[in-house]
Amino acid sequence: MPGVVRLALAQARRDRVLLPVWILGIALLGFVTATAVATEFDAESERAAIIGVAAVSPAFLFLRGLPDGTGIGAVVFFQGYAFTAVLAGLMSTFLVIRHTRADEELGREEIIGSLPVPRAAPLAATLLLGAAANLVLAASVAAGFAASGLPGTGAVTAGGAVGAVGVFFVAVAAAVAQVMPSGRSANGAAAGLVGAAYLLRGIGDAFGSPSADLTQVTSGWASLFSPIGWGQRSRPFSDADPVPLLVLTGAAAVVAVAVLVVRSRRDLGGSLLPERAGRERAGAGGTSFLGLAWRLQLPTLIGWCVGAAVLGALAGGLGPVVTDAVVGNESLKELIGRLVPGSRAEIIDVFTAALLGIAGVFAAAAGVQAVLRLRAEEVEGRAELLLAVPRSRARWLGANLVLAAASVTVVAAVAGTAAAVGLSLSGTGNPPGALLIGAALAHVPAAAVFLSATAVVFAAAPRLCIPVGWGLLAGGLILGQFGELLRLPSWVQDLSPFRHSAAMPVEPFDPAAALALTAVALLGAGIAVYLIRRRDLAA
Amino acid sequence: MTSAADPVIKATMLAKTFGATRALDGLDLNVAAGEVHGFLGPNGAGKSTTLRVLLGLIRPTSGVVRVFGLDPWRDPVNVHRDVAYVPGDVSLWPNLTGGEVIDLLTGLRGGADERLRRTLIEDFDFDPKRKARAYSKGNRQKAALIAAFARPARLYLLDEPSAGLDPVMDTVFRSQIRRVRDDGATVLLSSHILSEVEQLCDRVTIIRSGRAVETGSLAELRHLRRTHFRVEGGADPVRLAAIPGVQGVRANGTAVEFDADAADLAPVLAAVAAGGVSGLTVSPPSLESLFLRHYSDRNGQAR
Repeated sequence: MPGVVRLALAQARRDRVLLPVWILGIALLGFVTATAVATEFDAESERAAIIGVAAVSPAFLFLRGLPDGTGIGAVVFFQGYAFTAVLAGLMSTFLVIRHTRADEELGREEIIGSLPVPRAAPLAATLLLGAAANLVLAASVAAGFAASGLPGTGAVTAGGAVGAVGVFFVAVAAAVAQVMPSGRSANGAAAGLVGAAYLLRGIGDAFGSPSADLTQVTSGWASLFSPIGWGQRSRPFSDADPVPLLVLTGAAAVVAVAVLVVRSRRDLGGSLLPERAGRERAGAGGTSFLGLAWRLQLPTLIGWCVGAAVLGALAGGLGPVVTDAVVGNESLKELIGRLVPGSRAEIIDVFTAALLGIAGVFAAAAGVQAVLRLRAEEVEGRAELLLAVPRSRARWLGANLVLAAASVTVVAAVAGTAAAVGLSLSGTGNPPGALLIGAALAHVPAAAVFLSATAVVFAAAPRLCIPVGWGLLAGGLILGQFGELLRLPSWVQDLSPFRHSAAMPVEPFDPAAALALTAVALLGAGIAVYLIRRRDLAA
Repeated sequence: MTSAADPVIKATMLAKTFGATRALDGLDLNVAAGEVHGFLGPNGAGKSTTLRVLLGLIRPTSGVVRVFGLDPWRDPVNVHRDVAYVPGDVSLWPNLTGGEVIDLLTGLRGGADERLRRTLIEDFDFDPKRKARAYSKGNRQKAALIAAFARPARLYLLDEPSAGLDPVMDTVFRSQIRRVRDDGATVLLSSHILSEVEQLCDRVTIIRSGRAVETGSLAELRHLRRTHFRVEGGADPVRLAAIPGVQGVRANGTAVEFDADAADLAPVLAAVAAGGVSGLTVSPPSLESLFLRHYSDRNGQAR
């Protein structure tokens, strides 16, 4: 046991910058949301209006979560919880995989394994670190909520709801680390499970039944399969109940014990999904920069496409539910029309536009990830081996940018196609399927701006490209999701490229903006290709 | 473009700083066409930095460097056309098999000689079907070596290439160096393994703290080296120390140890014989002593 604590402290030291950034970032987001809601929806009647709309609008329920009363705290929790829980889940899975499967793959666990500690000690240390990190996260979120003036019990329960989801994903990621053979695949699978938890909760909530006064919604059964759904059941600001959080923590403990048993019985480097032998010769595309980029990007691209397909299918498939909810309720229709931009829009259009907007962020993330892979290639020394061949660095970067742009387009097209298919299966002919594919593709130019900005940073200041690349995308996402709510000045909101791509089918396609975004993206790509020749390759 | 007389590599007063660190500090390096050139130095002396400058992967802070008469920073593609490179720390794509890595690297250089590729995989006893993530250090090294040797090049830049190889594989590696030399290629072999350089190289440059401290053929450098004597019996330390070229004399119980210049041994042998000998050990000149001389303290005491 002293060995475990020592190892946990060593792991914490390695994360001494990364974890505080995650924790403070998440707590700050909660604090800012709470302050904004308190000032923006000061009057109870305003909150009742927005909650009333949300309660009958599956789009809101899907994206945000369950309305739970009209108090300020309840509105804050409704607006921010699901998103915050996803962040807590990602923080936890990345933390666990970084210290377990990734270290094992890189051979670092071997040297720890030679010390006089039990075989599962490093894993136990990581579980301890993950639990501690989530405890601090829960306290920070609670402190942020309390500081913004929310009631104490509610703030603590809400913090606990975020932390409990994090703890659950600590255990889940530890299990994934036993299954997958490499750090990268384990990270992808664990993050995919976080996404699935969000989606399951969204589906359950979208099919939830609103109370008579439209201030609360009871979620459907699907959210019972989601830890984020369980956290939401703690209802911090109406009827605070710690039992669902205890259930989550208990489930995490059971999984953690099982994983410790598995780890103490398996070989170092062994995994449930073993590494198989591969091809002896490279395929036709295996001898070019583009072919290599494709080979390296394919598994991740498949992951993004699956996510985009699920999102798109929901956008299309939930269409009838959305329409049914509002049919025959003229006053509600009018209310939504007033609250949602694009006043005359059909409810179904607003819903699909919102989901396809998120698909646009997915597409941008796939592109940014493809560009950032170059940095990993450089840091891990493979670029040195590769760039000793008679091909220019500009071609290397260019090939990867082409592939990144193609990834963006493919992910967007998959989302749009899935939306069109979902819509036609659900029997609603309006909006037409082709329009949905166009709506998804309309986000491609904005997404391309992100990847070309990442490429410029990679070429000019390589050390910064990973935080800046993901930071820009997170900034774009937060501006898109919270910019209106926070009433940020319009020039700040306009910084996000996504603000300039048309939210079809609510807004008409804007060819001038699309061309301008494409031009910016191409200019950035050109600058990156020019600059990459001018710097040293990191050794 | 270049005549046979021009050196394949010519670096003059090469300097490279990383922040406050001077990795290269006025390095001169000349490698003639067709020679196998040893590039000796301890860890951190600047060997890898030099190879990266020669490839145009990093830009020298000052100094002039030409490879095949071209500036590798400005014209990397044309330099790389005739270069095969094996980095010191080989990192491969974890989800590609060894065979795919070899095809990728040779393919980007214009394609492997299929017969060579087959023989190399056989000789190095390499399994090309496994994913690179499963390879040991030695196997990653082999993949890079096979990729380098499977397509003929005019210049081979090898950074401590045999560091991860066992003695049998080391023999295979040496035979490949001899093969490409017989084909007229130039090899720059960085190493801190002295026996390797001694067996393979025509000329040697010794680098220390980013500067070439010695360069020449092995025969030329032999003059700088000293033969180590250990004499048991009545040898007189004072008389020995008075002979020019003898250094580091010390009495060690009944034995006397000293180093003598290999060029002028006759007076030494006379003095040893005069004192009476009951036991004599003479360590032959090796690169080891030369090497140690450059990395030991500067007062010339080799040991």
